[in-house]
Amino acid sequence: MLRAIYDWVDERLDITPLWRDVADHEVPEHVNPAHHFSAFIYCFGGLTFFVVVIQILSGMFLAMNYVPDIENAHRSVQYLQNEVAMGVIVRGMHHWGASVAIVMLFLHTLRVFFTGAYKHPREFNWVIGMLIFFVMLGLGFTGYLLPWDNKAYFATKVGVEIAGSVPVLGPYIATFLQGGDIVGAQTLARFYALHVFFLPAALLGLLGAHFILIRRQGISGPL
Amino acid sequence: MANNQEGNHKQVHYVGDSHVRADRSKLYPKDYDEFPGKTEPFLPNFLLKEWMVAVVFLVGFMTLVMAEEPPLGEFADPTNTSFLPVPDWYFLFLYQLLKHKWAAGDFVVVGTMIVPGIAFMALLFAPWLDRSKERRPLKRPVATGIMIITLVAISALTWAAEYEHEQQLLSAPGETPENTEIAAKDSKGYDIYAKNACIKCHGENLEGTNGPGLLGVGNKLSADEISKIIAEGRGTMPAGMFQGSPAEEKILVEWLTKQTQK
Amino acid sequence: MNMFWKVGVLATKIPARKRLQAGLKEVGENVSRKVSRRQFLTYTLGGTAGFLASGMLFPMVRYAIDPLLKKGEGGQFHDVGLSVDEITETPKQVQFTVHRKDGWYNPPKGEQMTAWVLKLNGEYIAFSPICKHLGCTVNWNSNPQFKNEFFCPCHFGRYKKDGTNVPGTPPSKPLDRYETKVQDGKLLIGPLVKK
Repeated sequence: MLRAIYDWVDERLDITPLWRDVADHEVPEHVNPAHHFSAFIYCFGGLTFFVVVIQILSGMFLAMNYVPDIENAHRSVQYLQNEVAMGVIVRGMHHWGASVAIVMLFLHTLRVFFTGAYKHPREFNWVIGMLIFFVMLGLGFTGYLLPWDNKAYFATKVGVEIAGSVPVLGPYIATFLQGGDIVGAQTLARFYALHVFFLPAALLGLLGAHFILIRRQGISGPL
Repeated sequence: MANNQEGNHKQVHYVGDSHVRADRSKLYPKDYDEFPGKTEPFLPNFLLKEWMVAVVFLVGFMTLVMAEEPPLGEFADPTNTSFLPVPDWYFLFLYQLLKHKWAAGDFVVVGTMIVPGIAFMALLFAPWLDRSKERRPLKRPVATGIMIITLVAISALTWAAEYEHEQQLLSAPGETPENTEIAAKDSKGYDIYAKNACIKCHGENLEGTNGPGLLGVGNKLSADEISKIIAEGRGTMPAGMFQGSPAEEKILVEWLTKQTQK
Repeated sequence: MNMFWKVGVLATKIPARKRLQAGLKEVGENVSRKVSRRQFLTYTLGGTAGFLASGMLFPMVRYAIDPLLKKGEGGQFHDVGLSVDEITETPKQVQFTVHRKDGWYNPPKGEQMTAWVLKLNGEYIAFSPICKHLGCTVNWNSNPQFKNEFFCPCHFGRYKKDGTNVPGTPPSKPLDRYETKVQDGKLLIGPLVKK
């Protein structure tokens, strides 16, 4: 039955090459932790993607109860954490996942750096990877404000002040981030939009490019 | 379709009027002998191994999530002047860098633009800065060395920021006990307390304004410890804030040990 | 019409170099001087893309950068209930409430602000009490050791009467000032002057 459905679709859309390309490519021995335990360092990239998936899913579910408004943001977080079933787990996954994602991303970057995998012909994928890193830091920075507690508020104030001390452009960057003269209602709405729409969109695009390039170029050879 | 019949003599059959060829060739796995040793197909062999790693990872991650509740502080209060701001841990090194003499004040450009800018650009363009064919880390000491020095610097800065923050927390206002009545307010001890700079940070009612509250300090610290802090300071409290005579200090310390509110 | 279309496509599909090799010299020269059909279409496509993108994005970008272009509510001055005759050369603490609107959000209580007001060389000055070091609150003449100075108890930061920081103490900048204005013999305090 399933086979028949697949064949029916495949006859019309020719989907087999799409997934067979991914499925059949041979993975070399030197990145396979089953052959060499030390090859686990090649898992950091995949694990980073895994954490990103966790972040996207838990974030989507958190948004069911979260309100980006300074009067209610803190209350809604308190509610979803303490009164919704498993809320503490879902928020915990998103909160700790943010830190874990940065750690894994950092380890992956170091692996690529120290194995020299960024060299010819993979220069461009390294650049994309760096951009992913900065988008992730941006997600961390914007997400930190959303619970609207003291820690979030003052950390953002410091962060915006740091951005504001850049010569010439600084004040404009600060006003743009704040959406006004102070860290307040407009800042929260802005950070929410950045955290939930703009940066994830950029992240998904970059991740797609990252993966396509890996398939195109293959993984770098053994040292 | 129409084009096809006119222009090309070779007959190609499509599925319906789509671009999918009807007689497409079957895809066979490509030979992959670029690498020595044993290779294996991605699906299902290698993916299974990756997912085993993911299983171990997820178990660890969920253990962490369940062990540690995500923190949620007090409702943000912009007028709270005594809150010690600290950024998320992965920005701490930058935060600490900005405290340095050569990266703050008149040189703030160094801290906000030059140092992070150079680091960012160097990272972004690493493939063009390190152009040799050599990939082994030990065979390209410059790149490896710079990276290790950077890592050490970032770790040190992060650690220093964390340490300084902990120190400051010691001298920040803490929790207030339920009983807020000052013991022996009419005594000479309070007069000395009010006459000196103490009152400016610890508050008229020992509630703590810029510094920690001193209600209940007698429960936590002994007389010797109190006089040591008075003499040497702690956290953001500098040494030598107290400017009275030694006899006055003794009265003050004695009075403070009486503050055993709970 | 159909014929014309096909010829155009065929001619432009072959690169100029190849056409020259094939002896179609004249055609090649013609093509290189004029804008070929394909080039024309490509330029038009690019232009259309530019129009579509800018037509879509212009309102959105303008919307996003509005806070940069909006004039702040800078002009608001607050009566602090102090007549100018009361202001002397000795700094005096005044408190006033500011109602500042943050987008759609307007806190009903307003914000309590403090200023140190004094008269210096015939000019009325209002200092913000926020220490430029780490944001503690400064006080006038509060330390017997440092008479006639603003003193910050946190780290011994000191400022002279005119607000300049005493070198060698933690602050690196002078105290911030509020804008001031005199109206009907009363002092009005305006927004903080940002430096």
